[in-house]
Amino acid sequence: MASKRLGRTQDPTILVLTSLSGGPKHGYAVIKDIEEMSGVSFGPGTLYGVLARLEEEGMVEPLPAEGNRRPYRITAQGATVLRERLAANVKVATIGFGRLGTLGA
Amino acid sequence: MTADPVELALRCYPRWWRERYTDEIRSVVGDLTEDGRPRWAVTLNLLRGALRARTRAVGMPPVYDLWCTRARLAIATATLPWVLMGPLVLMVIGGQRLQSTAGRIFPGQLSITGGSNQLILGRGLPTPAPPLTVAGSVAWYANVAMLVLFLLTLFVLFAGWTGFTGAIKRSAVPHRRRLSLLAWAPGFSILADLVLSVTMDVLMPHSWRTSGGRPPVPMGGHPAVAHALGTALGVVAVVGWLASIVCVAVAATRADVSPLDLRFGKSVSLVVATLLTLTLAAYATWGIGLIVQSHQAVHGRFTTISYTHQDLWPLMLVALLLVVTLSAFGASAARRSWRVVALGP
Repeated sequence: MASKRLGRTQDPTILVLTSLSGGPKHGYAVIKDIEEMSGVSFGPGTLYGVLARLEEEGMVEPLPAEGNRRPYRITAQGATVLRERLAANVKVATIGFGRLGTLGA
Repeated sequence: MTADPVELALRCYPRWWRERYTDEIRSVVGDLTEDGRPRWAVTLNLLRGALRARTRAVGMPPVYDLWCTRARLAIATATLPWVLMGPLVLMVIGGQRLQSTAGRIFPGQLSITGGSNQLILGRGLPTPAPPLTVAGSVAWYANVAMLVLFLLTLFVLFAGWTGFTGAIKRSAVPHRRRLSLLAWAPGFSILADLVLSVTMDVLMPHSWRTSGGRPPVPMGGHPAVAHALGTALGVVAVVGWLASIVCVAVAATRADVSPLDLRFGKSVSLVVATLLTLTLAAYATWGIGLIVQSHQAVHGRFTTISYTHQDLWPLMLVALLLVVTLSAFGASAARRSWRVVALGP
């Protein structure tokens, strides 16, 4: 239960960028990918809110629609931002695991 | 017309959003419901998304007209809630009474410097009233602050309204005359109130005949008509007040005014939101002061201050908090929209 709560606090922007870093995906594929990756279930309202913001900031771009589904891909700028954010997360995670190790937990 | 909650939720999104994302979202919703995701959960998520899209306008294309409309809506959102709440707040903080353990105090008003209130004791000579408690004084000062803030806000809004009606006159929008009439609704409403009030006064009986122990009989005038006009005045005042808010809101959404006028509107909305926040602070202080006063007054000989509708304080506090949030949000949106509008078409 506690881990589920923590999962929900993950930054949706990072989750969407991480999903798209594996290749272009349409909305439903992004939702499923994030679910498998982190256990977080996005609704369509949340996902498209994040996609709109990322698109506005030039971090993702839409590709030509395939029927009613439009794939999105991460841009070079989005990849740079994602790399920086993940590096910061890794640093925190490494320190955290190190400290937990000294606790013997 | 479909009653599908998902479709209704999608309609809550702004038009620019629907044009851009609706087909995609429908497709995702279809896939998710096939997966077994409950439709009510999807609907709620979409409603939250719609609220965000409307409030934050994230992803809104940089189209000049879209941002102008958003700026006008934001200005209306920042200013009009005060017009709705102002009279209600005045009603709650009005009707001040001063009371002490020895009886009612005359006059019932305090002056800024403390004044020389006198206590009437039966038929004897008036004696000085005991002082207010500290909390009572705080409540009284908060009440004065609210009145000052009310007048200031009224003045700022009046300036904004005259600017708005002038902006409509200068604009090249179609149906300009109709929009002008809508924008002038508050003026017409006040005029109707004045006419009814003066007519009522003229028709009121001007003298009363008293004989023996009988009730006084009105002399001259048309008391029945005056009474009917009094009732009509109340109805016209309330309906006119609410209709004015709606009319100005409609005019604000449709009047394509110049960027310069929008800038003035943005400034007005920022000032109104600030004054409203200060009013909320004063209102909260006023209510807390009155509560604490009742505890302080039992420990000595004090004058207590009370207001006719002070029991409505908690309810009005919640309403005022909502209105302040709405107004602050409107002002912030107006500021953000102005930044895009300032870049020009």
